Amino acid sequence: MTESAELQSSPRAGGVLEHAKRRGVLYIQILLLVALIAIWQGVADRFDTEFWTSSPLSILAALFQWYESGQLVTDLQLTLFEAGIGFVLGSIGGGVVGFVLGWVRKLGDIFEPFVLSIYTLPKIALAPLFVLWFGIGPLNKVMFSALLVFFMVFFTTFQGIRQVDLDLVANARLLGARRVDIWTKIAIPYSAVWVFTGLRISLPYALIGTIVGEFVAAQAGVGFRIKEATTYFNTAEVFAGLVVLMAISLLLLGVLSLIERRVMRWQTADTVSISDAAGTT
Amino acid sequence: MLVATSDTKATAVRNPGEIVFENVSVKFGALHAMGPTSLTVRAGEFLAIVGPSGCGKSTLLNLVAGTLPPSTGQVRYNGRVVDGPNRDVGYITQRNYCLPWRTVEANVQLPLEFRRFPPAEIAARAARALRQVGLGGFEKAYPRQLSGGMLQRVMIARTLAYEPATYLMDEPFGSLDAQLRLRMHAELLKLWQDTGATFVFVTHDLHEAITLADRVVVMSGRPGKTKLVVNIDLPRPRDVVDIQADPVFGVYFKTLWHALEIEG
Repeated sequence: MTESAELQSSPRAGGVLEHAKRRGVLYIQILLLVALIAIWQGVADRFDTEFWTSSPLSILAALFQWYESGQLVTDLQLTLFEAGIGFVLGSIGGGVVGFVLGWVRKLGDIFEPFVLSIYTLPKIALAPLFVLWFGIGPLNKVMFSALLVFFMVFFTTFQGIRQVDLDLVANARLLGARRVDIWTKIAIPYSAVWVFTGLRISLPYALIGTIVGEFVAAQAGVGFRIKEATTYFNTAEVFAGLVVLMAISLLLLGVLSLIERRVMRWQTADTVSISDAAGTT
Repeated sequence: MLVATSDTKATAVRNPGEIVFENVSVKFGALHAMGPTSLTVRAGEFLAIVGPSGCGKSTLLNLVAGTLPPSTGQVRYNGRVVDGPNRDVGYITQRNYCLPWRTVEANVQLPLEFRRFPPAEIAARAARALRQVGLGGFEKAYPRQLSGGMLQRVMIARTLAYEPATYLMDEPFGSLDAQLRLRMHAELLKLWQDTGATFVFVTHDLHEAITLADRVVVMSGRPGKTKLVVNIDLPRPRDVVDIQADPVFGVYFKTLWHALEIEG
């Protein structure tokens, strides 16, 4: 087919080279990680800084002990549950409100200063108030996470919806689109890039909300364990808590980017495979 | 090829649009952009509109599409006053309105989804339209993988798919190179002949206007008014290359050129 010549195909060799380069970077990263851990351990052993910095081996031991006691699983479950529900509630709330205020310009203009003034408030300062309102149980942490996530997702969705190309909307109307079609088939997909950015940024905030909630008042959870360990000056356990937190944020981010890549496949579509497919038909 | 012979008969339009502009003028605030002017586009004709830039050629099309209300006068489409988006028209501009997150196929299906066609027909019509514009085999490609010329064909296929009674075209081939342009002209003529639809074609290229149109409207500078209407009595079907060698072609060109030149 002659049209395949029109395709902007990149040579396949470029892809292979890219792959090799990325693998090289990965090796360096692993090496760096190992080196850092080794230095940490070395410094702790040689200069006896264990009290302040703990050491990788002690942390590993603390982690193992935490796991053995069965507490790790219950703490993790609780923290993940609180952060997860908070994330979902906050995302839905932020997404819906962001969409409405972004789409209905007049409403957006009216409400923007109000939302902005709550946004600029350091929300950590609200944590004690949340204890008063929602108690010291999981609901408190869920609501606090949801609050933090709400603002992140709200602002990106609001921005994204306002970016929607109005010419494209006018064109869709000519093509026969009804109001619902404009929302579901133009506006929402159009702003998806922004919404995903909001979700990605807000994911750590869901955890922050829960951990702060657990710091302030709780009976269990990873944050509660960290705070408890601090009061006993048990640095290894504190670091063990931090390691667990880091691991779950990375895991959640991975899951999210996997979903994002699936939904936004059109952005990364491989030019080469298409010209091949066209050639065979 | 834009239009494959075997496929085109099925797309014949039953009720081509007649468009009447009645003392229409358009003002954007203090700017008097166009008119007042009157003009009738006959059902099933190929009308080209030429004029200096900023004379309101595109504005005329927007009025028919109903995306812009006239400041005075009215536009009637098949006897009915246009007062909102006109869903009987297919509007093709130089801009490509492909949705980047949809495949070529899904983009062509878009107007059919909007119009609530049954799923089986959506698939069949989109496939046929893509074959008609010579994009069979590119169904699963994404817009960003295609060249400008191919994207323009996607836009045409998307319009073909719902068989509008009227095609509004605003310099649709402006971004294409001369060769591809000529090929598109041949294919457009064929499309016009096979569908029997009304075509209103805005361009600043006089060759293009004479090659394609039954009548060429010359508009004056701002505020744009119809200044001269020239009947192009060249035989049909036309060959886009041979027609330029026709001595009469040159005469039309000269007439139109002078009409435009006075505008400076």
